[in-house]
Amino acid sequence: MSPTYDFLTDEYSPVRVRQRDDQYAHEVVTPIPYNGILVSKAIVDGGERKAGKYTEPQRARLYRMGVRRFFRLPPEIVTLGDCGAFNYINEEYPPYNVAEVVDFYEECGFDEGVSIDHVIFGYESDADEKQADPAWVKRRHISLDLAEDFLAELRKRRSRLIPVGAAQGWSPASYADSVNRLQQMGYRRIALGGMVPLKTAEILACLEEIEKIRAPETELHLLGITRVESMELFANFGVRSFDSTSAFRQAFMDDRNNYHTRDSMFTAVRVPQVDGNPALKRQILSGAVSQAEAVVAERECLRLLRGYDQGNVRIDDVLDALVNYERIVNTSKKRSYIDLYRRTLEETPWKSCSCALCQKHGIEIIIFRGSERNKRRGFHNLTILRSKMNDIDFA
Amino acid sequence: MADQYSLRIPALEVHQGKRRIYCFAIDGKKLHSFAAVSRVRRDKEERLQGYQRPEVLSHIRAIRRYLESDGAMMPNAIVLAFDSRVTFVGHGQTGSVDYAIPGELVIPVDESLPEEQKPAWLVDGQQRSAAIRDADLAEFPVAAVGFIADNVEEQRSQFILVNSTKPLPKGLIHELLPETTGHLPPAYVRRKLPAYLMTRLNIDGDGPFYGLVASPTAPDGYIKDNSLLKMLEHSLFEGALYQYRNPVDGSGDVERMLTHLKGFWGLVKEIFPDAWRKPPRHSRLTHGVGIQAMGFVMDALTDELPAEGVRCIRVRDALESLRPHVAWTEGTWRFGEDDEQKWNSLQNTPNDVRKLTTHLLRVIRTAETRG
Ligand SMILES: [Zn+2]
Repeated sequence: MSPTYDFLTDEYSPVRVRQRDDQYAHEVVTPIPYNGILVSKAIVDGGERKAGKYTEPQRARLYRMGVRRFFRLPPEIVTLGDCGAFNYINEEYPPYNVAEVVDFYEECGFDEGVSIDHVIFGYESDADEKQADPAWVKRRHISLDLAEDFLAELRKRRSRLIPVGAAQGWSPASYADSVNRLQQMGYRRIALGGMVPLKTAEILACLEEIEKIRAPETELHLLGITRVESMELFANFGVRSFDSTSAFRQAFMDDRNNYHTRDSMFTAVRVPQVDGNPALKRQILSGAVSQAEAVVAERECLRLLRGYDQGNVRIDDVLDALVNYERIVNTSKKRSYIDLYRRTLEETPWKSCSCALCQKHGIEIIIFRGSERNKRRGFHNLTILRSKMNDIDFA
Repeated sequence: MADQYSLRIPALEVHQGKRRIYCFAIDGKKLHSFAAVSRVRRDKEERLQGYQRPEVLSHIRAIRRYLESDGAMMPNAIVLAFDSRVTFVGHGQTGSVDYAIPGELVIPVDESLPEEQKPAWLVDGQQRSAAIRDADLAEFPVAAVGFIADNVEEQRSQFILVNSTKPLPKGLIHELLPETTGHLPPAYVRRKLPAYLMTRLNIDGDGPFYGLVASPTAPDGYIKDNSLLKMLEHSLFEGALYQYRNPVDGSGDVERMLTHLKGFWGLVKEIFPDAWRKPPRHSRLTHGVGIQAMGFVMDALTDELPAEGVRCIRVRDALESLRPHVAWTEGTWRFGEDDEQKWNSLQNTPNDVRKLTTHLLRVIRTAETRG
């Protein structure tokens, strides 16, 4: 997030340097809402066809400074590199070779690195090697072969990187077999991949099967999973860590569960920017929506929301303004959010949150509008996730 | 009725051939009471109505911010097309010219009229008038030019004419920017510092870039201003020059930035004098791909160094170690075991810049670990 963003004018400082002048969640909320960060090669370097998420100068600086200084991480934060297998899920073979991936991990100075894997996008609990989709069988073998090469490359370079073996599978038995082989190769940290679409019961079934062969010192990581309600159960089977962006992303991706509290979820109040909303722009251009009318309605919503936060405006006046703006914006006749807004505004959850961002920004944090508000809400959600995690007993 | 009245405004009628145009001043806050801002839209019969673009709100905000600042000035005129309800009452010719007649424009105002029935249309100045309307000011008189149009088609053609002027050429902007004070649009604010550094590199007699950057006032320069600007921006925002930058207001210690740049590129010039002397057609070093890749090399080698320490043995040795592995002006680049490319096949594309940068940095790293 950009610390100089002006919420009243909705403007960035014209001299802001994206990313470098900006702040990460671990720099703005305490306690730090995570123990480690995961960075994917696909995000940094891109692939055969896709560009990465960083500009070339940003990427050069990441390689030059290393991941710890680039993200300005405090020493207690662990860094984990992986390949970002979801980014090449449609390719026949992973687009990176082992040396390239080890280069990435070493040059960026990661603490730990995941071997190259190839995601199996399917689950069939009873299928054995002969019955399963041949593409799945092949992908599991690719992942295992690359895990072996990965260890060999690290030994050859006398690398200090902690290797994490990636296990893929389509069933409890195939996952367990992958874990077993990785243990035999020498891995003591194993990441379970491809489980994002699985139901919790399916993940548990796999963990139970893995438990039968898991060495006591082997620690498991769940790639891309956040299911706080089930974490305690997972922990019983040797799961020691997981990574996920879902609490963050729900702030602006979820249809209604945008703002989390310890025991509930709230819908953020949508006040889109007239000049930042492509659909609305088209409506204005075509003449279906009057720009002047939309601007007035937008400003009125913001003014009343802020007034409501200070106790000077009645909730029904805010909702009337929101109804009016929704009517202008919502030309495609999507369903109305007004009833959800009423609950959010009645309960004012941001007032009882002690995180630094809610304290500082008040009602702005619950307004669904532009990336600066939305990211701050995402950071808030991470602090809530962290406090829920604190209650879990990781044996 | 109180919302119906006439504005009588001092004006000058100017004769242009058969046409008459009217120059006058008007309080920008009053413009919207009689002037409509039309937008392109289709009416119920699918006929084209109006001719305007929607307001660009970020642009309006920027102008508004400027208007509210001290000493704001808006010298260029707003252009209006009137219909025949607007009249001019001349006071008769005075002075020695016969093409300009002083008098009064009489504009009927009816604030209850809907947009499309107002007697004037804004042909040019929509964003500016919206900014004046929104600005926190009691009044803001602006210069205006009006003409009486017979119909909407004529208004439309005027709109196209006044809005089809070419934007300033980029090279000229780069040269003007550093010498500009006062409020600038955000995109220019960002570019001001890199443009200033580039200009100084080009005119300071003690640096390696002296007179080499092509610009409107240095026509013999052969290094493209865009290549150099990109290198400077990269280093300012992500690289070695960031250390001298003030993130609060975007300013920086320019003299030390220049010392840093002259230190590094001076060594580049000394070690590759031949490639430095040649234009991009004959040298990949002065080409966009070389300038940018060597910029990344500068960031890698000097990120931690103070400006005064850039000309040091370590940097010189690192650049020396490149010598057997570069093909700036002839031969081939050996990027890998089976990846060779002819010296001039490298282009100024993100891919080639990355390829060259990776190659140069690898050579330097290998030399450093061996040495
Ligand atoms: Zn909070």
